[in-house]
Amino acid sequence: MKSFRVWSLPQRCIAAATLTILCLTAFAQGPALLGQSAPDFALRSFSGTNVRLSEDRGDVVVITFWGSQCGVCRKQLDMLDRSFATYRSAGLHMYGVSVDDDAAHARQYVSAHPLAFAMLEDPAKEVARLYQIDNLPTTVLIDRGGIVRHVYRDFGPRDEALYLSQLRELLNE
Amino acid sequence: MPVTKKIGRIRDCLVAACALLISMQALAADTTSSAPAAPSSAPASAKSKAVASQVEAALAAADAAQGSAPAAPATLTTTTAPGAADTRSLDEDTQTLKKDVVDLNRDLFVLEEELLFPANTQVAVYVSMDVGEFFALDSITLKIDNKEVTNYLYTPREVDALLKGGVQRLYLGNLKVGNHELVAFFSGKGPDNRDYRRGASLKFDKSIGAKYLELKIEDRQRKMQPEFEIKDWE
Repeated sequence: MKSFRVWSLPQRCIAAATLTILCLTAFAQGPALLGQSAPDFALRSFSGTNVRLSEDRGDVVVITFWGSQCGVCRKQLDMLDRSFATYRSAGLHMYGVSVDDDAAHARQYVSAHPLAFAMLEDPAKEVARLYQIDNLPTTVLIDRGGIVRHVYRDFGPRDEALYLSQLRELLNE
Repeated sequence: MPVTKKIGRIRDCLVAACALLISMQALAADTTSSAPAAPSSAPASAKSKAVASQVEAALAAADAAQGSAPAAPATLTTTTAPGAADTRSLDEDTQTLKKDVVDLNRDLFVLEEELLFPANTQVAVYVSMDVGEFFALDSITLKIDNKEVTNYLYTPREVDALLKGGVQRLYLGNLKVGNHELVAFFSGKGPDNRDYRRGASLKFDKSIGAKYLELKIEDRQRKMQPEFEIKDWE
């Protein structure tokens, strides 16, 4: 068997390029919806009312997919709650879609940490599948025309500023 | 060629027409900005002619592919006038073209529905509500011949629309001629705000021709209970 050490430089370059392309392809799977019409859905919220995405056409919508066991998701939910309080009067709708296997965990978290925006349950993960969620938290920004404009597949300290600037852009359109 | 593929091709033509429409709009903006300068208006005119002929070709292709569409769209008027004075005319043409595209899209939807759900096999189920004092609708699950065909969640806005007299088409599908059974499960809040789940069923005979069924939710004042009924529209 030929070991990596005996590979020539061009062979190593080709292998590295292939690996890079594979990684980029895997990373690009999530934002495949970018520029596409946001898939419509109807889900039940933890408060008992039902929510249908298409009813918010004409407003900017933020959907975040989260899990109660995900620490980063909790930080992001707090940040989203602050931004919702600021911009809701400008025509912003926000939904948190729980992808927990056990809805009781999510319900417990929601009752312990009340948030201003609606928290929805997706026990069958149909909506998560529609939005090709493969990482938590994932946040989707939808413009007033119902088009997916931004997808965040993680949340870091620097992401808040970027998120807020892109959200403002959408609200100003 | 399968019908769905044909429709797909027509859709492609429509998309091409839309793309050209957008480029025409961009061109109109370009013409507006370059209107005072006479030399720049001439190439703009040539460009507009080229784009207009492309749009014509795309729509002609769409017309040809549409074949037996119920209503053919109006013929396209093209712009030939150069300069700033004709910007308005170009804008009007753009609006006409936009309207044609919308009309064509509507006709295609009708055509698609007629092809996918032919009258001979078509079954449509509608929902209506009357009063709603004893029942707040949350969801309806519909089964035909013991197979779940739809599960619909109602938002407060949709319930309001039903209470105001709206009728919703809950399901549209195809069924063979013969005997069938429809079962509907209604979930929501009943009297005293309690969780409420009821079912209603109907055995019906599907003959040649479309079948229309209506799920009716009514209040029975005497019983202080909601009533669920499936009506067969002959």
